[in-house]
Amino acid sequence: MQSGAIRHDRVKYAFIWPAFLIVLVISIFPLIYALTVSFQSVRLVPPIPPRFVGLDNYAEILSSGRFWGSTWTTASIVFMSVALQYVFGFVIALALHHNVRGSSLYRVVFLLPMFIAPVCVALIARMVFHPYLGPVNDAMNLFGFVNIPFLTEAPLAIMVLVVIETWQWTPFVTLLMLAGLQGLPGEVFEAARVDDIGPWRRFWDLTFPMLLPLSVAVIFIRLVEGFKIIDTVFVLTGGGPGTATETLTLFAYNEGFKKFNLGMTSALSFVFLIVVIVFGTVYLALAQRLTRRYA
Amino acid sequence: MENRTLRGLGLGLCLIWLFFSFFPLYWVFVTAFKPPLAVSQGATYIPFIDFQPTLQAFRDALSGIRGDFFGPIASSVMISLVATALSVFLGSMAAYALVRFQFRIRLLSGLTFGVISIGGFVLLNGTFDITVPYALLIVLVLALVASIYVNRLPLPGPVLGNNDVTFWFVSQRMFPPIVSAFALFLLYAEVGRAGLPLLDSFLGMVLAYTAFGLPFAVWLMRDFLSTVPVEVEEAAQVDNIGRIRIFFQIVLPMSLPGLLATSMIVLAFIWNEFLFALLLTTGDWQTLPILIAGQNSSRGDEWWAISVAALIAIVPMVIVAAILGRMMRSGLLSGSIK
Amino acid sequence: MKKLLLTTVAFGAMTGAAIACEPDYTGVTLNVSTQNGPAIASALAAAAVSWEERTCGTVNVIEFPFGELYPKFLTAMSQQTGDFDAIGFVPAWLPDFAPFLSTMPAALQEGSNWEDIHPVYRERLMVWNGEVKSATMDGDMHMLNLRADLLNDPDEQAAFEAEYGYPLASPVTWAQYYDQAAFFHRPNDGLFGTAEAYRRGGQQFWYFFSHAASYTNHPDNPGSMFFDPETMEAQINNSGWLRALEEYKRGLDYNPPGALNNGSGDVRPLYAGGTVAMNIDWADSGVLGSTEGAIEGHVRTAMLPGSTEIWNHVSDQWDSFDEVVHSPFLAFGGWQLAVPADSENPEAAWDFVAEVISPEVSGSAIVTANSGVNPYRFSHYENLDNWSSVFSEEEAASYLGAQRASLDAPNVALDLRLPGFFSYTEVLEIELSKALAGEVEPQAALDAIAEEWDALTEEFGRDSQLAAYRASVGLPPM
Repeated sequence: MQSGAIRHDRVKYAFIWPAFLIVLVISIFPLIYALTVSFQSVRLVPPIPPRFVGLDNYAEILSSGRFWGSTWTTASIVFMSVALQYVFGFVIALALHHNVRGSSLYRVVFLLPMFIAPVCVALIARMVFHPYLGPVNDAMNLFGFVNIPFLTEAPLAIMVLVVIETWQWTPFVTLLMLAGLQGLPGEVFEAARVDDIGPWRRFWDLTFPMLLPLSVAVIFIRLVEGFKIIDTVFVLTGGGPGTATETLTLFAYNEGFKKFNLGMTSALSFVFLIVVIVFGTVYLALAQRLTRRYA
Repeated sequence: MENRTLRGLGLGLCLIWLFFSFFPLYWVFVTAFKPPLAVSQGATYIPFIDFQPTLQAFRDALSGIRGDFFGPIASSVMISLVATALSVFLGSMAAYALVRFQFRIRLLSGLTFGVISIGGFVLLNGTFDITVPYALLIVLVLALVASIYVNRLPLPGPVLGNNDVTFWFVSQRMFPPIVSAFALFLLYAEVGRAGLPLLDSFLGMVLAYTAFGLPFAVWLMRDFLSTVPVEVEEAAQVDNIGRIRIFFQIVLPMSLPGLLATSMIVLAFIWNEFLFALLLTTGDWQTLPILIAGQNSSRGDEWWAISVAALIAIVPMVIVAAILGRMMRSGLLSGSIK
Repeated sequence: MKKLLLTTVAFGAMTGAAIACEPDYTGVTLNVSTQNGPAIASALAAAAVSWEERTCGTVNVIEFPFGELYPKFLTAMSQQTGDFDAIGFVPAWLPDFAPFLSTMPAALQEGSNWEDIHPVYRERLMVWNGEVKSATMDGDMHMLNLRADLLNDPDEQAAFEAEYGYPLASPVTWAQYYDQAAFFHRPNDGLFGTAEAYRRGGQQFWYFFSHAASYTNHPDNPGSMFFDPETMEAQINNSGWLRALEEYKRGLDYNPPGALNNGSGDVRPLYAGGTVAMNIDWADSGVLGSTEGAIEGHVRTAMLPGSTEIWNHVSDQWDSFDEVVHSPFLAFGGWQLAVPADSENPEAAWDFVAEVISPEVSGSAIVTANSGVNPYRFSHYENLDNWSSVFSEEEAASYLGAQRASLDAPNVALDLRLPGFFSYTEVLEIELSKALAGEVEPQAALDAIAEEWDALTEEFGRDSQLAAYRASVGLPPM
């Protein structure tokens, strides 16, 4: 048995190294590059020779209102939309799992939004929410609201962005939770049904706790990905009015790909990384506590 | 009784959601057939009643005046299928290792890697003027060897476990892509100068997208694989079947629903990826998202053209979703029989 | 490669007239890149056909989204990847691209084909630091689009004159423009006064510039619209600009609802669909209106309105003029072609550029639907017959006349061209959208822009930016 363990120990490297190496090779250079550049003032446009500026880039970011504003915008969009995605996604997965009528039709339609490129989704949303030519305002007219400026008032625009994110990414949650539900051992539920335990209790006592680790993972990925929201904002509002709907990545994109202020963009990327890690760690800690309570 | 109410509620929600999901898609579909005036004079809904449908937008798209659609579709399909398969496959392997084995990595060893790789790179590239690809290669080998060595030493300090390794994989997705895409472009350009063309090549794109998809694959497959009962594997081990065979012949088939779900997710992300595709491809391997984004042209929002492009991009995914949806249902059946 | 190319050319020349390729670029493949079609890209593709026939070379047109062209070209050229042999881009980017571009061969800068290009393009927009770095392949400027069905309606004419005391005609001043916008603004009948772009990222600032040119482009102080050409001090917060911003914002009252989110692309169908009485736009609205629109046959185009008062930043006061001074603003300035210095086939690439801009090829491009190419040669303006497929005779006359008059206007205003263009326009867009949404007062917004512009100039180097600015407005070095 002892020798078996050692042999297996070696085999584990064969399993993990290919993935590890590919990720490392592709991501290490960008990290090294970004880190070194973040301490310099590098501009491609107009070309100014790079010079070392220490922590200046970071100090400038932390003292800029635009950074904190975009952090707040991003965080509010992400938290609202991920909460909605999780609740709706899970409930729909449950309904599909229990073979609600017509579920084979829903299955395909529900999944589709996820497969549409974000740029495309944003363009579609601009059509649908067009203040003058779009169907949403057409419907609103029926209820007596005339030409609601969905995209030019900051709070409304943020709500629209939340709706779009929810539209596009709820399928992600549905898909994974459905796969999770299908992987659950059927015997336990059969036993519960025999014991005449109601569906409500079955969910909270069995399904939910058993899917908690998967839920944690799914929400976490949505948080991480959600923080990178850019295309929809770019196409819908361009970050306006002013910078009221500007997200962190849009801010970084403008610095990087329009102004080619590479030092600043790199520093911004690292600050962004720290923000996500902070939110992510807090979330994982909370989630772990929740998991433990159920376990 | 309660059960029936819940079913009713579920059905109601599904129907509402169906409308919510489907309406924008319907809108795209009808807009693709609208003549310009049916768009610019207010919302119109039903073909033949609200407006006279036309195939003009499709003709424009297929005649190539809005860009060549066939090339990007072909490259998108090839790149995303291969990269998805690779990342789900390699990701499942890594996930399996993370589920079944213990990894212990000293924090100091990780730090050694960081210091040697970053410091070494700056030194080699900055001071000794060694070009990026070679400097990177030297640094990688040195740093890996050194950190493996350090990991074996009985050093103090915290030890990282499997959760941290998984977190490391996912953390690769946390870094915003703007700088990484640009840096990867620089790296590919340098490697190209050293003799291996990666820019605008199948290899380069597949490599980048495999790394792009791996974090999802590892993170999701870890959860799916952890539900595979360990007893089956133990029985196989008693029969002296090797780990690799166990993995391929027992574990992978048992986690098929998870594999499918993960593949779909990874595929969706790769299929829609924009920034890397923009910087890393030029003419030969341009992918579909670039073409779609291009329909948002300076000439203004020609919704009918945008809609046609969107439809063209969606159709392959409808097929994929339908196939995988069907496979998932059979997965469900086998689950309930069991 | 270059050597090889030269020998094949020499070889081709030696074997004489038997070979039909002139010059012989057999085996040469040019990668030509621009925005996604049909506009511009289709014109390049059409020129590629005739070039391939003439030279036996091959052209590969590669398209990218407009929003991503700048980073794509800049990264490729700065890394010397040699990806592109010719690029189609926008004059505003020329200062940033110039270090990576080759200069137009001298042979192309002479002869009747060269003289035929309007001097505004030939001598100013194609030139950077005294060298011809690009070739205009499309003429472009903001114009005022009107509707003959409204202007020539006797009832409207009578009602207008009764209300405003002067006859209804093309607006000559901005005051008249707003009179007409107010007059035709009838939301209950589904008709709105005018349409301009106000969306951040929707080319909004060019519309603002078009207003501002009339109040700030002082004929006695050439080149002083954006910056003081002596000190590089930002001018954007002076009284002329303030007035322009207040008027531009006032226009929202006469736009269709939701105009704050309209980009230039939304303005076009509004006009072509007959929803608005007029709009400000590039040449696209007119073509759209008479080909796919509801106002076919009624398209009328005029030069942008002018002003009798212009702010003089030297004396710090408004100067009055007896006649209306038109300062038509060459917003955007039209697509250009250039050959990156890292191209492996520069001769062939420039030869292709010459093909695209030749009077014959470009002459048919300007009247081809969806080519996106607008007139920029004298010969383009003269050939009214070519336009019959698009316009009625009257439409063509006003359309071409307005463009020609804009270019010929003595006080024509050129677009901002400066290294770091996006850095300057970013803050402009942010503050402008705040002011338009009513979040800050116009003056405060302009002050904020000026402050940031001065800071940027300082950061990029005041002397080099000043030299670049003077070059861009055609002033001699200090």
